[in-house]
Amino acid sequence: MSKIIAENVNVYYGSKQALFDVSINIAEKEVTALIGPSGCGKSTFLRCLNRMNDVIDICRVEGSIKMDDLELNSRQLDVVRLRENVGMVFQKPNPFPKTIYENVAYGPTIHGIAQSKEEMDQIVETSLKKAALWNEVKDRLDEIGTGLSGGQQQRLCIARAISVSPEVILMDEPCSALDPIATAQIEELIDDLKKEVTIVIVTHSMSQAARVSQKTGFFHLGKLIEFGPTDKIFKNPDNQQTQDYITGRFG
Amino acid sequence: MLKNIGKNMNSFKKNLLKKRYNAERRFQWYGKIAIGLALTFLAVFMFQIFSKGYSAFQKTWIVTEVHYDKELLLIDAESPSKDDLENADYYDVAYKAVTSLDPGLPEEEDRQLIQMVSYKYEAEVKDLLLKNPDYLGKIVPIKLTASDDVDQVHKGNYPRDIPEENRRVNDYQLQIYDMLNERGDILSEFNISFFTSPDSREAELAGIASSFMGTVFSILVCLAFSFPIAVLAAIYLEEFAPKNKFTDFIEVNINNLAAVPSIVFGLLGLGVLLAVFNLPRSTPLVGGITLSLMTLPTIIIAARASLKAVPPSIREAALAMGASNMQTTMHHTVPLSMPGTLSGTIIGLAQALGETAPLILIGMVAFVNTIPGTPVDPAASLPVQIYIWSESAERGFVEKVSACIMVLLAFLILMNLAAQIVRHKFEKKWS
Repeated sequence: MSKIIAENVNVYYGSKQALFDVSINIAEKEVTALIGPSGCGKSTFLRCLNRMNDVIDICRVEGSIKMDDLELNSRQLDVVRLRENVGMVFQKPNPFPKTIYENVAYGPTIHGIAQSKEEMDQIVETSLKKAALWNEVKDRLDEIGTGLSGGQQQRLCIARAISVSPEVILMDEPCSALDPIATAQIEELIDDLKKEVTIVIVTHSMSQAARVSQKTGFFHLGKLIEFGPTDKIFKNPDNQQTQDYITGRFG
Repeated sequence: MLKNIGKNMNSFKKNLLKKRYNAERRFQWYGKIAIGLALTFLAVFMFQIFSKGYSAFQKTWIVTEVHYDKELLLIDAESPSKDDLENADYYDVAYKAVTSLDPGLPEEEDRQLIQMVSYKYEAEVKDLLLKNPDYLGKIVPIKLTASDDVDQVHKGNYPRDIPEENRRVNDYQLQIYDMLNERGDILSEFNISFFTSPDSREAELAGIASSFMGTVFSILVCLAFSFPIAVLAAIYLEEFAPKNKFTDFIEVNINNLAAVPSIVFGLLGLGVLLAVFNLPRSTPLVGGITLSLMTLPTIIIAARASLKAVPPSIREAALAMGASNMQTTMHHTVPLSMPGTLSGTIIGLAQALGETAPLILIGMVAFVNTIPGTPVDPAASLPVQIYIWSESAERGFVEKVSACIMVLLAFLILMNLAAQIVRHKFEKKWS
């Protein structure tokens, strides 16, 4: 079943076009990986899915992106509600310079999800458990989140993202600032999360895409060159460019 | 390979290497010389101020005896009440206390002795009795404030070797002074009244209480007006306003405003606050508002810089969690920028603290011999007080000017220290 259907998405930064007619179907409760060389537009596309491009004044998005039949690329859409349902994890871990507890409780607080202190404690605990961080931080929830290690910070960011029970989580190279052990932990986490959430992940690491995703899309120069099951993309791609990129001949 | 380090060292290469090291050494010396010069200037300046000003913290007293004679005081009652003492006539008692310094002096020469104490000696004689009613009828020792001339003689600031007709202290007075000094009847004590008294035309009585309070009130008014306006303006411009020609224009104007000479703001205060709004003249209220015009751009610039310094990743994190622009700004960006904003504010206020020209224009230069209790009472301010005193001819004001500068500098150092502490202690670290 498709969660997100994008049709003919074009993105412009001022007069420069960054995405050309991208059409893609993202399946529900699967991991979709977007790969491609730097500057190919994969992050730009990812940021269309929670309207984070709105922050950039000169950015203009054309085309249709539907999530469960709701048009995302529309002026009427309430981005606050959208982002409550579409969480995001960034390349560099960016916890708030507040306590671990406050980091996770921030989303439920502003969206009015918890009715009581007990409920909030419960949400924080569940989110941290789902992010495989609970055991490491349960005794120091009132310490500052930025004092954790890089891998822990990124898991804290994931806990923060899932605290509002989103339907989709976008990950923008979530492991590029982490060491291999932390990366393995995050990948394991992604595997667990996909039972409940649709995940779209942008990654530079092809092996990571191969390990965690069910579908893979290859972007090059702002175009979606090829999209299909991960197995097929990595073993038997249709397109010569994809083949060249996968085998490391360019990029 | 380190083995290669000694190889290939032909003379050209050697020379080049030597030149590079020499250039660095020279550069370091230039820096040291520059810092040395700056420190020397500072030291000379400080030495000037301190050597001239420290004596102002000492006050000279002349000790004599006073006889609280009921007859001379014109008190009839057997056991007089407080009111009786209050309304008594102290002229003769005080006069006798002073002239007893030299009983042999003919009456027509008495001015010479009277000139040696401050003109308030009568009030001082009265105050002592009001504080100690049981002195009535007794002969007790009393400390009278020495006149500024005697004060300066005692502190050694007054040259004795110039001809008598050019001296404000004549030979007879010097003789009396020496006699008293030998007897130990000249006292030098910490000058409390310098901090507790308002301004006065007499150097020995003048204090900084009125100008100090004026400065405090002005700064508070300035803070109350400039901080909220500046912070709101900065937040709007930095976080909400669209980036277009108009906001660019505003930004240029704010930067220009920071460079406008302060006297122009003084004219504005005079023309608008006093002439149009009819606010009370010479008051810290008007002074503070005028100063806040000056501090506004400083705070706006500091607040915008510290808002800009908040990493965009924090904003993105909040926005991606579904926070609105307003929530992102108020929950995250503004609290994180506060240390920088506050230290910028304190530095802006410290600038305003030392400002003189605009205050002179709005009338805070007036002679004020009362201590203001509210921002709408007339007052001077510390820098203006320095200006007023530096224009006075009396020798006694020279040390007061330096002492007032010392107080102002201490105030400034405290504020800058506060800015440093705020910046370092409350600044949050992010990875």
